Amino acid sequence: MQKITDNIFLLLLFAMAGTFILAASFIFFFVRYQRKMLLQREAMQRTELEHQEKLLHSVIHSQEEERKRIGRDLHDDVGSALSNLRMVMGATAPEDKHHKPLIDNIITTVRNISHALSPPGLELFGLEYALHELCDHFNLSGKLHLVLENHTGELMDKTGQLNSLTLYRVLQELLSNTVKHAEAKNAIIIFNRENEKLVVTYRDNGKGITIDPNKKMGMGMQNIESRLHMIDASFAIDSSPGNGFKIVIELPLHSNVDI
Amino acid sequence: MGVVVPLAILLPISVAALQLKQLNAMARIILAYLLTSAVVSLAASAMIWNKMNNLPVSHIYTVVEFFFFTCFYRVLLPGKKTISAIQVCFLIACILNTVYVQDLYQFNSYTRSLEALVIMLLSVNYFALLFTDISIVKPLQNPAFWFNTGIFLYFSGAFMLFIFSNYMLKESRASFTVVWNMHATLVLLMYLLFTLGFLKCKK
Repeated sequence: MQKITDNIFLLLLFAMAGTFILAASFIFFFVRYQRKMLLQREAMQRTELEHQEKLLHSVIHSQEEERKRIGRDLHDDVGSALSNLRMVMGATAPEDKHHKPLIDNIITTVRNISHALSPPGLELFGLEYALHELCDHFNLSGKLHLVLENHTGELMDKTGQLNSLTLYRVLQELLSNTVKHAEAKNAIIIFNRENEKLVVTYRDNGKGITIDPNKKMGMGMQNIESRLHMIDASFAIDSSPGNGFKIVIELPLHSNVDI
Repeated sequence: MGVVVPLAILLPISVAALQLKQLNAMARIILAYLLTSAVVSLAASAMIWNKMNNLPVSHIYTVVEFFFFTCFYRVLLPGKKTISAIQVCFLIACILNTVYVQDLYQFNSYTRSLEALVIMLLSVNYFALLFTDISIVKPLQNPAFWFNTGIFLYFSGAFMLFIFSNYMLKESRASFTVVWNMHATLVLLMYLLFTLGFLKCKK
């Protein structure tokens, strides 16, 4: 029988190196697989997020369309019918002092609701005009003294239709909160340009709120957050009980600006 | 290698000492293992200087090392009762091996190989857990991954050496030293990976 002349130490070194390489490769492939899985998971989460954003976008878009349609119908159909009724009453019962003011009141209310649903000045004359209209509405109501300051010149009207509508809706929501909950007498809206950002500051002198990051935001604030997120705008709230409410909105001026 | 590797143990111990407040249960077990290992290493060296056979230390060290590593996996893996049962069985196997098969003055190749095999199985089990547990998002940031990698690489590299130790000792002492230097390299690698693990510890 042939004698085996293999060097046992060499064989052992090979065996040790072999098992070590096997174990090291196992770990290497494991890490690679894990990294691949992580990238896949991140891609899936990104897709999901994009899908949710698109969904939110379309919900807000359809909401706006619906508001516009209802506002137009109210203004054109109900408003016209009431105006006709007012004219007929003027012709048939000129001495009626009780019903005419009632109809006038209803016509004003319908017009206000229609304008709140779809501000006609926003599309026709721009954001500054629409906000001035909003200011007039609040100032005339006597509930709040509202001031609008624009330090951006014409830039305010050139932020794009979506941005304008979003800022208008957000300010509308903030004003509604101020009137409903803040017990404020004065409020101010300031438009500034800082670097490549349009900075909108809204401040009231109401009773303020306690900011708790762990507490879930109300529907109104959630709506504001969703709308601002849709136009890539960021916001910061500064408020404490007894010190009023302040929000600073920063909108990057990039492709959406119609210059 | 005979000096570098025993001294290299100070690296993970120092890092762990600096991070002591950040260490969780499994990291503390690894630190306890390293401290025990350092003491055993000193005792073994002292025995050699006094021209004593230090192989009895290997018998005790095998049990202690197995206990520490299985405790480490007890923290990481489900099935704590099974691991406890394995610990008891291994202790019995070690006693039986020392009494009936390989006495205190012989290298305990059977129990050392068995230890390597069991620890490798537990280590693979942990990798399997990492594969399936979706809550572990970034394993490379997890200190347990680095501790486990160190243990796995050390035992898989040294497994063959443990099996053939006694056989080689009979063949040639000089070549045996070369192979044990390779073992020391594996130990060094394990210490470096443990150091990395301690650096990743954050509470």
